[in-house]
Amino acid sequence: MINLTIDGKALQVKKGKTILEAALANGIHIPHLCYHPAIKAIGSCRICVVEVKPGPPRPQPACTTTVAEGMEVITQSERLQDLRRELVKFILVNHPLDCPWCDKAGECLLQDLTHELGIDVVDYEAVKVPPHIDYESRLIERYATRCVTCGRCVRVCRDRVGASAINFESRGYFTELGCGHVPLECEFCGTCIDICPVGALINKLFKYTARSWELTKTKTVCPYCGGGCNYEVHTKNGHIHRVRSQGSLLLCGRGRFGFGVLEAPERLHQPLIKKDGQLVAATWDEALDYAARGLKEVIDNAGPDALYGIGSPRATNEASFLFQKLIRAGLGHNNLDSPARYNFARALAGIAAVFGEAQVSGVALGSVKKGVYQSPWEVQEEAKGSGFPFVLGNAHHLSHADVILIVGADVTPEMPTYGWRIMDALKNENFRLVVANPRKTKFDRYANLNLRYQPGSERLLLIGLMEAVLEAQPGYSPHLEAEGFEDFKKTLLKTSLSKVAKQAGVKDADLRQAGKLLAQAQAPAIIFGHDLMAQEQGQDNVIAVADLFLLIGQPCNKGSALYPIAEKNNTRGVCDVGVMPNYLPGYQSLAEGGGAFAKLWGKPVSDKPGVTLEEMLDQLENNEPEAPRALYLLGGDLVRLLPNRQRTERLLQKVRFMVVQDAFLTDTARLADVVLPVAIHAELDGTYTSTDGRLGCLQAALSPNGTRPDWQIITELSQRLGYPMKYGSAPAIFAEMVQLMPIWAGIKEGHRWPHKKISVSLNGKFVPFSTEISIPGEGKYTLIVGKTLAHSGSYTTHAHGPQTIMPGAELKINPADAQALKVNEGEPVKISSTQGEITVPIAVTVEIPRGVVFLADHFSDTPANLLTSNSNLCRVQLQKG
Amino acid sequence: MIYPLIKGLATTLRHCVSKPITLQYPEEKRQVYPRFRGHPELQVDEDGRLKCVACTLCMTVCPSRAITKITPAEGPNHEKYPAEFVIDLTRCIFCGFCQEACPKAAIALNNKYELAQYDKRVLIYDLEKLRAKS
Ligand code: SF4
Ligand code: SF4
Ligand code: SF4
Ligand code: SF4
Ligand code: SF4
Ligand code: FES
Repeated sequence: MINLTIDGKALQVKKGKTILEAALANGIHIPHLCYHPAIKAIGSCRICVVEVKPGPPRPQPACTTTVAEGMEVITQSERLQDLRRELVKFILVNHPLDCPWCDKAGECLLQDLTHELGIDVVDYEAVKVPPHIDYESRLIERYATRCVTCGRCVRVCRDRVGASAINFESRGYFTELGCGHVPLECEFCGTCIDICPVGALINKLFKYTARSWELTKTKTVCPYCGGGCNYEVHTKNGHIHRVRSQGSLLLCGRGRFGFGVLEAPERLHQPLIKKDGQLVAATWDEALDYAARGLKEVIDNAGPDALYGIGSPRATNEASFLFQKLIRAGLGHNNLDSPARYNFARALAGIAAVFGEAQVSGVALGSVKKGVYQSPWEVQEEAKGSGFPFVLGNAHHLSHADVILIVGADVTPEMPTYGWRIMDALKNENFRLVVANPRKTKFDRYANLNLRYQPGSERLLLIGLMEAVLEAQPGYSPHLEAEGFEDFKKTLLKTSLSKVAKQAGVKDADLRQAGKLLAQAQAPAIIFGHDLMAQEQGQDNVIAVADLFLLIGQPCNKGSALYPIAEKNNTRGVCDVGVMPNYLPGYQSLAEGGGAFAKLWGKPVSDKPGVTLEEMLDQLENNEPEAPRALYLLGGDLVRLLPNRQRTERLLQKVRFMVVQDAFLTDTARLADVVLPVAIHAELDGTYTSTDGRLGCLQAALSPNGTRPDWQIITELSQRLGYPMKYGSAPAIFAEMVQLMPIWAGIKEGHRWPHKKISVSLNGKFVPFSTEISIPGEGKYTLIVGKTLAHSGSYTTHAHGPQTIMPGAELKINPADAQALKVNEGEPVKISSTQGEITVPIAVTVEIPRGVVFLADHFSDTPANLLTSNSNLCRVQLQKG
Repeated sequence: MIYPLIKGLATTLRHCVSKPITLQYPEEKRQVYPRFRGHPELQVDEDGRLKCVACTLCMTVCPSRAITKITPAEGPNHEKYPAEFVIDLTRCIFCGFCQEACPKAAIALNNKYELAQYDKRVLIYDLEKLRAKS
């Protein structure tokens, strides 16, 4: 700690802080312009000048001068104010009087400074700078005329976002922000808009719609990916106009520009019921009665087991909890699952296989009543935990890892928050990044090593990596207590490194180097995502990753953990709160169903595991007697998102009665007998759990406009089904839920589980996995179906912002392949697989190796899953379309 | 005793022959000074275009919330203009704050002061009624 005085006030400040940081943290205002807490200070505007004693006789910039023992700082004096006034006048010489129509007015730092410094006239003259205004770029307008060249946008884009898309052009007085006099082509995250202190960067979706002071701000959570960014929605007269993240300002483009989903014209506002094969509008009572009647008929005829429940990774924790309660306590079975089965649930199962089931002890129900959205369970001194949840990493610690291996994930599109953490990690000079992906992804440019393996050969690559680690340090043994290592070495690691390298399509030397990096790492982290989990052998892939982590992981060091990517906003939460056939809420085994659950719910929960979503579809396929007769879907567009669209569609049609809750008439909802329109994020109260287990609290900012929250619909249906569940609000449901989930001990808004005070004892066993690699189908090309940065699931295809960035599907293809097919950029190709064919325009890019093509699965008019069979990979034929 | 009576009568008689100080309203209208604060109206430029840029400062400053709606829109040359502008004259207190706040001299109070109507709705002025005629 350093002692200093600022304006006579004695302060104690951490070493290394700057004067400006110290002052702001202690409520002392120093005018500033180019400084922003989210980025590194560069001291370019000099408006933050202060007098420092002892020090040079001239004023010093507060934002770049670090505090020193005994320092005396003066922030206000006639001389300083004069200097600041002149500096701001220099900026104003050229600043247009656009305030009346500039969207920044009211929250503009230049306005504030002018006001604060009492500048009424600018007594300087200068040549006019040409008014370069970029109206062409998508989503962002750039007014070079208004720019004060503070460089905030350039720094945030380069250092935090990692896009380096904009920079200054020209020099001196003529310096101008630009990107080469062409429209902007970047990630369209919009962070630069919000970090700009003036109105030089304008959000086109917000432009001219409201003035800053007219907006009502409501804190809530982004509904798109598992990053769980907290943000504010800004509304006026019941309409949403923009969203903003406080603090770091970082959001991705979906979060910032995707709010149009709320007011999309395709939104359903009225329930629909099937009459004579057509879905027609109905009142809520009619629809709920109809739904209950249909479900009841099936239950009466075929037993409660005949109703299968499918949760949605978009639904809140509360809705998901009630949903599983309805199935478990109301119907008395465990036949429920969610689409997470096809990705994140595989990660959980794979990690559980290696590191064991979740266990926690030493937590107790507290006596003090806690606030809303807070667990009543308290973590005690002796609290202990083990099993898979303790291997899952904390996103905030990711930047402390010294080696990050990304395998089978395109990080930024799948989880922008992890991307930002990697950018932070890169500031550490000892940090090393290894990126393994068949495609070239954003982080290739920052990686110390790229491993471009053959699609589908992840397990071989991982074997290669394990062998390389052992080779790099002979006698290397796991840091954690591990069983079965010797056997594992003998069976799985027996093929020679060069052979696996060859099979996986990577160079021996690269593998060896990666092995060296991983073996030397003190805090290695592994990020893996959709590409790896969504394959048919996704679970084996995860087991291989978990085995590698068992070998190299050192979870006692901050940041060393596994970071699976949960695709949707609440994928993790849905699994956490028990929308799984084999776990009660909090990953408790079904055998626990007699204890606290029985007490609270009035009857024990069946201990017979239910069938998974995959198994349920197989039952339908084989017309098994146990196959469900009725489905209750909490959302989750199975037809569009599961592999093999035709099969899913055909199987769902076999079901006698289907109730779907969704915000849109999705491809799945079209097959339903009843569609119940639901309220979505800014219309809801409740909680989401981010991919790293952090609790985010939603607050309703808009009226639901005819729709209802999922949880309300579930309670209404439960009453009609003869199992009344009565709750007044989302917090009431949360209270019951957390009471049943000791593992969530200590959780509250913004905090993650497992709680940091739980001491972790991890051990694992090396689990063998199949090394069979097969990509279904026939054809010359391997198709990878994946995610893009512009969209999240199918929701954002209803929003204007993301649609501006990516209006439709495009097949990414290597230039040489495109040339061989004689197809030019933007021209259509016919993609055919054993399952079906679609025609999509191509986007030529060197990101994709030869023989591989990539297609995103967001769009309903070009459904990628029409081509796939049981995996996100398949072989296809291409033909000029 | 008689003296005050005569004095009173004299006053009456004097006023009978002098010029009346009341106006025969509504047949006769009062002439007001140019700076009289009457109804707010939206100013136009030489080409007859509204000067208003829909900055909403007038709406923000209006103490009686008489300016009830300004809907901004973007014109073909990226200019901002009001697609809708509504002032509820029944609420206006003719303070002139709006005129003072306006950065574009786009709103000003004219000399009109009549407000009597059978139907109050007539006094809710939209863009067309607010546009200064000249
Ligand atoms: S929108 Fe994001 S990526 Fe694009 S220039 Fe701004 S900060 Fe950079
Ligand atoms: S555009 Fe804004 S943030 Fe960027 S340099 Fe100019 S004033 Fe600063
Ligand atoms: S989509 Fe993800 S990264 Fe983007 S703003 Fe939302 S939560 Fe954050
Ligand atoms: S004159 Fe006063 S009360 Fe009337 S509209 Fe203007 S600001 Fe409002
Ligand atoms: S203050 Fe002037 S420019 Fe702004 S909205 Fe009112 S009339 Fe229009
Ligand atoms: S804020 Fe310190 S120099 Fe700009």
